[in-house]
Amino acid sequence: MKTHFKTWLLALIALTVMSGLPLSSAQAHGEKALEPFIRMRTIQWYDVQWSTQKFNVNEEVSVSGKFHVAEDWPISVPKPEASFLNISTPGPVLIRTERYLNGKPWTNSVALQPGGDYDFKVVLKGRLPGRYHIHPFFNLKDAGQVMGPGVWLEIGGEPGDFSNTIKTINGEMIDMESFGFANGVFWHLFWGALAAAWLLWWVRRPLFISRYRMLDAGLEHELITPQDKLIAKLVLVGVPVLVLVLNAVTANRYPDAIPLQAGLDQILPLPAQVNAGTVNVDTLKAEYNVSKRSMVLQVKVDNRSQGAVRIGEFASSNVHFMNADVTNVGYIPGRDDVSNNGLSLDNVAPIEPGEQRTVSIEVRDAAWESERLDGLIRDADSRVGGLLFLYDDVMGKRYISSISAAVIPKFI
Amino acid sequence: MSAQIPISTFKPYQGEKARLARAYDYLILVLALFLFIGSFHLHFALTVGDWDFWVDWKDRQWWPLVTPLIGITFPAAVQAVLWDKFRLPLGATLCVAALLIGTWVTRVFAYHYWNYFPINMVLPATMIPGALVLDTLLMLTNSLTVTSIFGGAAFALLFYPTNWPIFGMFHQAVEVANSQLTVADLFGFQYIRTGMPEYLRIIERGTLRTYGQYATPLSAFCSALLCSLMYPLWWHIGKWFASTRYLTKI
Ligand SMILES: [Cu+2]
Repeated sequence: MKTHFKTWLLALIALTVMSGLPLSSAQAHGEKALEPFIRMRTIQWYDVQWSTQKFNVNEEVSVSGKFHVAEDWPISVPKPEASFLNISTPGPVLIRTERYLNGKPWTNSVALQPGGDYDFKVVLKGRLPGRYHIHPFFNLKDAGQVMGPGVWLEIGGEPGDFSNTIKTINGEMIDMESFGFANGVFWHLFWGALAAAWLLWWVRRPLFISRYRMLDAGLEHELITPQDKLIAKLVLVGVPVLVLVLNAVTANRYPDAIPLQAGLDQILPLPAQVNAGTVNVDTLKAEYNVSKRSMVLQVKVDNRSQGAVRIGEFASSNVHFMNADVTNVGYIPGRDDVSNNGLSLDNVAPIEPGEQRTVSIEVRDAAWESERLDGLIRDADSRVGGLLFLYDDVMGKRYISSISAAVIPKFI
Repeated sequence: MSAQIPISTFKPYQGEKARLARAYDYLILVLALFLFIGSFHLHFALTVGDWDFWVDWKDRQWWPLVTPLIGITFPAAVQAVLWDKFRLPLGATLCVAALLIGTWVTRVFAYHYWNYFPINMVLPATMIPGALVLDTLLMLTNSLTVTSIFGGAAFALLFYPTNWPIFGMFHQAVEVANSQLTVADLFGFQYIRTGMPEYLRIIERGTLRTYGQYATPLSAFCSALLCSLMYPLWWHIGKWFASTRYLTKI
């Protein structure tokens, strides 16, 4: 019976400690957790770059990039009315010092507009040395987390090198790592000492069995002495008075205290970057061949620009399917990016200015499977989405289209 | 109480019997302490949760409403047993002290050492003054009704002023990103929590804003009313628990 009780007690203590764990450790890495149609047709990331991937504690690093909010936002996903650009980290191994959306500093959540284009920059500062897999990602209210591309960051140096001093509006410099800690501990010790005194006052006497017997014998008056009553009266009056006095002193000391801030930021999209109208791409049909792991997209390209364009890349859910013939002018994959040369065209000739052409694009790579994008064909919403990049080599221009289409599976 | 043992015949335990009774006291105390550290803390973490964890959740509206309401549950239940059966007026203080021990252990080990958050971002709040008032009031009045109404109300009303000396300084304004934030908000922005975007904080939401700037007193009075109801409810839960489980063994 006793050992049984002990295990039970241990389990309870373990549960207690675990119940207090912050959310961050529970959800390690949800990069491929959401259904493919959400990853492909909500936040469409591109041009995401880190200023460096190796730096020291207390040094700054920034990640910048762009994203398009898909026009074809899935009906089953709540609209991005409150969205928060976050960084996936195992706890605050980095701190976020600045964050910009379309060049504007922002600290809260923001409403994103489907079809809108945005660029972002997040400045971080190394806090704990180590090697971490880090992503920018969006927390979308009621929808979940849509991950941006991940990279490995190596933070060197010593934890002790970290410092984080900020200035309050009154001009006081405060160290965020220790601010208010000693004060908090002091008040906990202060009230803790009072509680301990009250408990000891009672615990020093014989307790349960003898008090139970005495109460049973009608000796109640001996259990609570006049001295006990006097002390209780002092506590009953003194403690509330003390609380109110200390509260007034603090209120006096920080007269300009403000409530926690809870507004949304207001930031409008940039002028159209994707689907800007110069080169129009219309998706006619999409077929996914399961055994070949290839998606065939039939698109109608209407080139209204001044130069010839070539299709160079299809990107979706942070996988870059490149056209090997065009890579020298297009995007150069970063060290940790997922990219392949899986894109090929039925007609490699550039699309001339003024030309309208129906092109069949084959996007064929094992990444459909390894990145778990092929689950699309078994989803309730089986539409594919992504960004198509077209290049004008002569003028050095890039045109981007956000495309989407229902997918038809082919099993042979 | 039963008058079957005449007062003249009552003999206190002596010698070996007294020593055994004392040993039993300590055993029960230590077990109770661990039990309360575990169960009350678990109960608190699962219900009050984020309001109690993070400095940037301790708002003037929900925090002073939710925390005392949950905080009064175990103290009421334990008081019911310790006062009714033993005339020991320390149930509330014991529970709240146990809760604080559990909370500090988690904050230091789980939050600071395991997840790297600075402890000042996850400082616990204290309810000890309210608990002392509950214990002394029950002892002096020996009345469930009076303790429910005045003790419950005091427990709720004292909560915010008790903690303002700890958390007031985190409400100083800072100019960040062309806007003003509190130091507490800045903690939430700088020290990255991946699962906790700004919109998930339940602060300053709802209809408790009829009187403009007076959100805190309004919340506190609302909480006082609810605590006065919560107290007798948990008192009876405590009594029921005691009569069916513990006392049959004594
Ligand atoms: Cu990752």
